[in-house]
Amino acid sequence: MNLFIAISIGLREISAHKFRTALSMLGIVLGVSSLVATMALTGGIEEGSRKFMQQMGGLESVSVVSREPSSSDFDFANLSPGRTLLDAEAIRRSANFISHVSPEISFSTAVATDGGGNPERYSIRGIYPDHFVIGMHELAAGRYLTPLDIERGTRCAVVGDSVARYLWPNTTPEKAIGNTILIDSSPFTVVGILSLYQMESHARARKSGKSFSRRWDPFRQKNETVLIPFTTMFYEFRSGAFPLDSLETIKLETLTIRVGDLDFFRPALDEVRSILNTTHRGVDDFDLETRQDWFDRIEASVRATRLSGALISAISLLVGGIGIMNIMLASISERVREIGIRLAVGARQRDIFWQILIESILVSFLGSLLGIFASLGLIEILKAISPTENVPVLSADAILLAVGFALFAGLFSGLYPAAKASNIDPITALRYE
Amino acid sequence: MSLIHLEGLSKVYRVGDQEIKALSDINLRIEEGEFLSIIGSSGSGKSTLMHLLGCLDTPTTGRMEICGKDLAKATGDELARVRNREIGFVFQSFNLLPKLDVISNIALPLIYAGVPHAQRLARAKQAAVDVGLGDRLANRPPQLSGGQCQRVAIARALVNNPRILFADEPTGNLDSATGRIILEIFDSLHAAGKTVVLVTHDPSIAARSRRIIEIQDGSITREYAP
Repeated sequence: MNLFIAISIGLREISAHKFRTALSMLGIVLGVSSLVATMALTGGIEEGSRKFMQQMGGLESVSVVSREPSSSDFDFANLSPGRTLLDAEAIRRSANFISHVSPEISFSTAVATDGGGNPERYSIRGIYPDHFVIGMHELAAGRYLTPLDIERGTRCAVVGDSVARYLWPNTTPEKAIGNTILIDSSPFTVVGILSLYQMESHARARKSGKSFSRRWDPFRQKNETVLIPFTTMFYEFRSGAFPLDSLETIKLETLTIRVGDLDFFRPALDEVRSILNTTHRGVDDFDLETRQDWFDRIEASVRATRLSGALISAISLLVGGIGIMNIMLASISERVREIGIRLAVGARQRDIFWQILIESILVSFLGSLLGIFASLGLIEILKAISPTENVPVLSADAILLAVGFALFAGLFSGLYPAAKASNIDPITALRYE
Repeated sequence: MSLIHLEGLSKVYRVGDQEIKALSDINLRIEEGEFLSIIGSSGSGKSTLMHLLGCLDTPTTGRMEICGKDLAKATGDELARVRNREIGFVFQSFNLLPKLDVISNIALPLIYAGVPHAQRLARAKQAAVDVGLGDRLANRPPQLSGGQCQRVAIARALVNNPRILFADEPTGNLDSATGRIILEIFDSLHAAGKTVVLVTHDPSIAARSRRIIEIQDGSITREYAP
């Protein structure tokens, strides 16, 4: 007996009991669809975070963050000045592997045009020109802030796209250059406007005119920024005089550095660490946070999600397998006489065994096909109810994996009924009513 | 050489710790082309003998040669092969598959013989025509009369061109007129040279054959020609 005949017998059996078979498939359908949907969603998250990370400065960017010193250093903790402009200067001067250093101080305040209109709160950030490189900024119009702006403490500002759009809704970025804005009522001249940063899905939504306001935008911070020279920030909004001789007194909100060559990433981090050890007087109250760490964290949570999805799917598949076994057992006890007849006309035990096993695998295969269709619907539902920015990625791997597991469940749950069916005694089976 | 050769054959069933002797010391030769009846009352062991001859079961002791093969200690696969190639069965209750149409029912043994699809259909169709059912190929057994069902069963038994045809009370579920028609088919098969073994409890049916074996309490008690 060949495979084709076994499959056609199986299909006939299935179509003779459609409702019963559909019920027994339910577990497989659930298992496959949840597995495929989980894989698609987590794949989307991974893909999205990878793109986002590249947009936000790539692997070369490293953040210097502060942290609680370890308990052994606790007594000396107040010897360290913390993250200050001195750190930035020291790295700029002494670290060979670091190409850019971007110290930052910031505060939030109202911004308005000089022509009146409603002010809006934005985050004002005092920066050095390296910020534009590390933040991977692009200009829509005008120029970046220059070292001269820093040196002179000029009243120049570069604003994000959302800010320009809010303040001058009816002009192009080119025409907005040279306008004056009031930051906490101090006048600044807009010398540059940044491009609009957005995810691909946003660009698509914007083009098709769909509403997307509800969704989380990772680039919001970048688009709503107002950048002014670090020194100006200090003069205008902090103490007044810039204490050049004691950079240590200027605490930073953010300190980001960029490694020149990724091949020397670890040495670069070691170098920065030893410099910061000096400026922090040996207190380990700082950490170097790489984008890789950040990505690893996302990866870890993605893995956890994937694992829980896989667990749910595994349970569903197990239950589905038991369902199939149940139906197969019911089916063979209904078909004892048929099996007897087949044996009497020359079927071998193994022909019966394969017939039942293939039927069981067929049920799980059909179930997994339904499951794949169901997963498409499930993905749409999840997309609609969760504010995710990431388009689920339906991968062939996930589908193959899910179908593979389903077939395995079908095979496994068919073994016992198949063995039972093939051990039926033909004489008893022929007498069976 | 005989087609079937039994020597000192016995079959013992075990029910709990009780032994039931269904057959003891059966010696029998059946030659090619014979028309033979096995007759006996119910419980005499004739069905057991028939199952052994039909390779549905193996004997407890003794020699059993069918078509030159010693099958007393044969494996399940060997028995299945003999059932498929050398033996055709006709049962009292027809034993057709109700979900299959006539032609698929007839073609069933060919599936297990590994005959390709097109050939299977052609041979099954020919067998159906031979028993006079050429116009009912697409019907299913529940749509047929008892006599037609039994003719489908005969066509199925003959489709793989076996050397021996076993019939177990073939007219038991039929009225006497239809039964006669079925028995005439056996007559004509015998005339065409097929070996036919008929199992029955009815002496008038057994009388159609050329040789009658009478079984009582698991032993052959009498052998005569009608």
